[in-house]
Formats: sequence, structure tokens, C-alpha cells
Amino acid sequence: MTNFNIILFLCGWGPHAAYQTLQDNGSDIPPEIKMVRIPCTGRISKALLFKPFEMGADGVVLAGCEPGSCRYGTGTNTALNNVEDTRGILDLLGLGEDRLRLVTFLPDEPEALLEFLTDFVSEIKGIGKSPVVPPHKKTPLVGVDDLIKQTVVAYDVYTCLDCGKCTSACPLTLAGKPFSPRAIASTIISGNIDSPSVQNDIWACLTCGLCYERCPSAVNFPEFIRDIRHILKKSGSNGHAAHGGFFQSLMRTMTSPDLKIKHWEWLPEEIRTDDKSKTLFFGGCAPYFDIFFRNHLGVKTRKILVDSLRLLNFFDIRPAVLDDERCCGHDLLWSGDKENFLKLARLNVDAIHRMGVQEIIIGCPEGYRTFVHDYPEHGIECNFKVTHIFELLEREIDKGAVGFKKFNRKLTFQDPCRMSRFENCADLPRKLINRLNLKGFTEMQDRETGAICCGNCAWIGCDSFSKAMQVKRIGQVHDTESDLLVTACPKCQIHLQCAMEDPFLGEELDTKMMDLTSVLAKTIQWE
Amino acid sequence: MTEQKDIKQEIVITGFGGQGIVLAGRILGEAVVLGDHRQSTLVQSYGPEARGGACSAEVMISDEPIQYPYVRHPDILICMSQSGYDKFIEQLKPEGTLIIDHDLVKPRGIDRTFFSIPCTRMAEELGRVMMANIVMLGFFTAITKAVSLESARNAVLESVPKGTEETNTAAFNKGHDYGLAVLKGREKKATGKAGA
Ligand code: SF4
Ligand code: SF4
Ligand code: SF4
Repeated sequence: MTNFNIILFLCGWGPHAAYQTLQDNGSDIPPEIKMVRIPCTGRISKALLFKPFEMGADGVVLAGCEPGSCRYGTGTNTALNNVEDTRGILDLLGLGEDRLRLVTFLPDEPEALLEFLTDFVSEIKGIGKSPVVPPHKKTPLVGVDDLIKQTVVAYDVYTCLDCGKCTSACPLTLAGKPFSPRAIASTIISGNIDSPSVQNDIWACLTCGLCYERCPSAVNFPEFIRDIRHILKKSGSNGHAAHGGFFQSLMRTMTSPDLKIKHWEWLPEEIRTDDKSKTLFFGGCAPYFDIFFRNHLGVKTRKILVDSLRLLNFFDIRPAVLDDERCCGHDLLWSGDKENFLKLARLNVDAIHRMGVQEIIIGCPEGYRTFVHDYPEHGIECNFKVTHIFELLEREIDKGAVGFKKFNRKLTFQDPCRMSRFENCADLPRKLINRLNLKGFTEMQDRETGAICCGNCAWIGCDSFSKAMQVKRIGQVHDTESDLLVTACPKCQIHLQCAMEDPFLGEELDTKMMDLTSVLAKTIQWE
Repeated sequence: MTEQKDIKQEIVITGFGGQGIVLAGRILGEAVVLGDHRQSTLVQSYGPEARGGACSAEVMISDEPIQYPYVRHPDILICMSQSGYDKFIEQLKPEGTLIIDHDLVKPRGIDRTFFSIPCTRMAEELGRVMMANIVMLGFFTAITKAVSLESARNAVLESVPKGTEETNTAAFNKGHDYGLAVLKGREKKATGKAGA
């Protein structure tokens, strides 16, 4: 037998008939091909296209009908986009886009189908085995109740006064969701972790931390929820992932040490980096986001990374970048997968140590929080200093001789929860904003440590209530009469942009957004 | 800009009494002699009344013994007051370097490039307006390189009152950082890359 695995997603209409003819005739279908019959190529989301790669597949074929002959009209077009996006992601990951193919066959083309499959198998053999290590079989968790109890003790949830301040602060509750952190806490304390409401609500919490901010007993609810998630996940809960779990799947795939990730290959020519530098710029997952959301939201969060590097170059800092940079693991940690979070953390930290770097600069607030806080807390020691890019810019600009061109906009600012609330750095972006040469800057009603979440965290639990909350938040933006919403996290842009795609409210919600880094890079100048 | 190993440099620091003009001159001279092991002299002159009146320090720096300590045509002129500027500007060599306090001096009647730093304002922001001279010294060190950074910083530490070392070092660094930033900005502008 062969050790190559190639998954063939086969549409039950056109190509399946051709495949059946091959089977009926006893044709030599390569044994590497594992066929999965599907109703329509358009139903195979990016998450499903990618899943086999996470499981270690060497190649994937999506076989459907010619664009005009799709039984459901638009299936093939949807598949085209999904395949193109997933191929882009495979390329960044270093797996190579050639491992995924979209093909179409008519029922009367069995020979052509066979020829293609044979060629594809030899092509994949030419590329070689996938370096992805398939996940090992999970052993069911024992002693769940005890683990839950330990977590309750660790976070001292018993000190909860049942005052309800958390619930009255929670943006999900305020958006009308039948959801209460106080109730979750007391249900878990009383030993009812299996109650259906808790099992659902655990995955709905945004871990935004507003409740913790208000709690008179300082119950760290978001971290408590996070650790409960790990237990539930290990005992088999599916975790309500958004986008079919694509991002978690992507991050887990990155835990394979032999991947030759190409995180920075797209970087524009004029950006100057230096692999011998003692300073490293850690960019974060924006390149993946832009490919994934290319057709849906059209976000350009990669620009934030380019502008960050431009600003560093402006100050004659040519940082190193990590060619095989991996996700920091923030979203795995917060969506219940500590095991793979730790793998990513080790791979990143080891790679940075190998480069002999003394300081890393991070622009992504989640990455910053994860490096300064969660890595050490989980026993991953970093022998380097971690600096947020705003800190560095403030320091450099404060030296003087730098000014800002007039920027004829009225701004308001969306605080990233991981920076403003968790790391208590709400003043940092504001110092920079105050240096700008603007038409105006008006704060939103809820801001700084009290700011409302952009709508999602760690790609789980996105629902109509989180949408309602986003609509409310955008309403606050409009109340300021600003004409530009400045953000400081790529995900704030993604999730808020998503809210603006609402088919009913879309136009009403429409708001221009720009990352603070980009505003700075656009207007900064030597005096 | 003047290179550190120029045979001889004549410097005038001018301002009004109370700004620490003479102290700045003394720190500079000590840095040159004790730190860089070169020769230096200092001549101080006060106006009619010591506090608030015009005041200046003349500093010579040389690799050879200095025979005559009075500056006639400075290579570097540092002005921390308008009257000081008005009095000395004519004497500055055509290719000399002019450095002024951005807020206190309006460089009128000249057609030459110069360096300016809001050193009094910066000192105020750092908590003590008295440290404007130290901020200026840091700036001067970065711009002219007439004295090495280490010697200048050490001389500041040696000369300021005990207990104020930290704030004075911060003041010196502030001026020095600003000087480096100004030089970098000029260089970038000259190559047409003023923005990011
Ligand atoms: S962390 Fe945020 S979403 Fe979760 S319960 Fe607290 S306030 Fe609500
Ligand atoms: S705010 Fe704190 S003390 Fe009050 S109900 Fe919520 S968790 Fe309990
Ligand atoms: S808000 Fe939009 S982009 Fe964000 S998780 Fe939900 S569906 Fe995805």
C-alpha cells in the first residue's frame, strides 16, 4: 500500500457519474485517492477544504461540474473562490498551492477523470509527503468535575457576591442575549457544569473582560471561562467555532515543526529588513486574514504590517523578521486548546532565540498580550524584551524633529481589549493620536478600559447578539460625528467590517476605518 | 558640522545670568580635558548685573596648548538669549555652526542654516527649567561632536549637585536624542525621504 493520502471531494452530480463508470469498469483508480461524495462543490467551505491538510493529507481535489452545468447554479463559482483562497493560504503555510485543485468533469468523461487523477497523484508524489503531523487520537478526559472545581478555586470564584455587576456590564447581555456571567458563575459553583445553558454560554463569552473590570470581588471571569473551555474542549465539546473552525484548524496545522512557512514572502521591495538585526518585528496573522476574507470583506490588514515596517524604517530601524513566523497561539488559548497553544508558543520562542534577538516589536495587541503575559504564565520563558510598536514610536517621536502632515479627518478610536483593558495601555495610542495634526478627535461614549468589544474574540461564538452589539458600537462611532474610525488591531477591522456588510443596515453602518499605524505612516515626516 | 579632531575650535555660549551659561562652558571644558584628554580654556564674562544680565562663556578646544584664550571668531555659537545672539552673531565664522534656543531666540538678519532646540521648554517639561543648559549641552554634543558623548555625559554627572544626577542625565539625553533626530531628519530630507 501507499503512504500518500489524497482526498477527492466528488460532487454527486456530474463527475460522480464519471467516477462510477470507472468503478464499474474496474479501472485502475490510484489507491492514494480517498473519495468523499459531496452534494455540491459550493458546499465545501474553506474550512472543509483545509481540514484534510490539518489531518496530514498530501493533496486535495475538489471535483465538480462546469460553471454552467451546476445543479444549483452558483456552486462552481463559490468553489472557485473557496479554492483560490485556500490555495493562497496553503502557499503562505509553505505547503504549496499545487496540493489543492479544483476540476470539473462531465458524466461522460471517465477517461479524462482517470487521467487527471493519475497525473495528480504523480504530481503530488513529486512534491512529496506533507510535513504536517496529523493530530493524535484524543483520549477522553477523566475527572472533569474535579478539574472544574480546581478551576473555580484557582480563580476564587467563591468570592462572587452574586451582585450582578458583571451581567449589567456585559455587552452581550446588553445586546439582549439571554446570557449572564453571574448566572454562569453560580451554576458552575453549584456543580452544574452540564447544564445546557452553561455548555452553550461558555462559548459565547467574548472574554472581553468588561465584567472583570467591574467586579467588586475581582473575579477574573474571562480567564476563568478560558480555563473552563480547555476542560470542556478536552472532554469533547465542539466549541462553536466561527467560519467552520477554519482558523483553529489553520493554527493547529502550524504546530507542525517541519512546515516551511513563508510568512513574509509578499513583503514589498522597498521595505528594508536585516536578518542580523537584534530587533525583530513580529507581524501576526494578518496575511492569512487578507486571503481568507478577500472576497467577503476585502479587508487589507497586511497593510498594517507594511506600515509598521515603514515606520521602523523611517527611524532607520531595519528589523529582522521570522520567515517561518507562526501564529502566537492567542486564539487557540482562548478557544480551549492549550495543548496546541503551547506548541506554537515553543516553536515561535525557540525560533526567536535561535536568531539571537534581544527585542521584539509587535503591533498586534493580541500577540503583544500573549508574548508578555501568557507565554511566561504558561512557563515559556522569553530571553528578549517585548515592545509594542506604539511604545517604540512614542519613544522615537518624543526625541523630536518629527512632525505630522495635516490629516483632514475627524477621528474616533476603537480600543483593542487586549491592550487597553488587559494590559492597561489605553493611554499609549492616545498619546500618539494627540500628536497628529487632525481636524478633530472625539472619544466614544465607552472607551479606554470601558470600551466595548469589536464583536468577536478567538473566532468562536459569533451570533446575532454579537452582531447586535457591533451595531450598537458602530452607533457610538456615529454619535461622535467622526469620519474615520481608527483601530489598533487587525481583528477589530475584520469584525466591524463584517457588521457593516449587513444586507439590511449596511449603508447606515458604513464607516471608514484605518489602523492607527497606517495613519501615522501616512502623515509622519522629518521636520 | 565640525569633526572632533579639528586642530582648534572656538566656542561661545551666550545667554543671560541664571541660565547656567558659565556652568555649561565649564562642563564642556572639563569633558574635553578630563575625558577626551585634549586642551581647553574658559573665559567667562558677565554683563552689568550678574543675574538676568547678558552673560557668556568662551571655550577653546585644541589638541595643542592654547596660548590665547579669548575667542574672536567662534566656530560654534550657542545662543540662549536674544541679546546674546544680537551681540555675537556678526562674529561667527561664515562656515561656523549656529545653535539657538528655539523659543528664546529669533535668528533675524541672517541667511544661513542653523540648529535650534526648545531646550528651555524641554527642561521645564522635565521638571526644572534650570536644566536648560544641560539639555543644550546634550544637543551641542550630538550636533557638533566637538566632545565625545561619554566624556560629556560624565562631566555632567561630576558637575551637577548630588541627588540630581538622574534628572540631569535625563536632560542631557533628551537634548542629545533631539540632536541626533535633527541630524537624521536633515539627512533624510536631503535624500528626499522626509516621510515614511
Ligand atoms: S468577558 Fe465580556 S462577554 Fe464575557 S461575560 Fe464578561 S463582559 Fe460578557
Ligand atoms: S460582578 Fe463579580 S461578584 Fe458580582 S456577580 Fe459578577 S462575578 Fe460575582
Ligand atoms: S464578526 Fe464576521 S468576521 Fe468576525 S467572527 Fe463573526 S462572522 Fe467572522
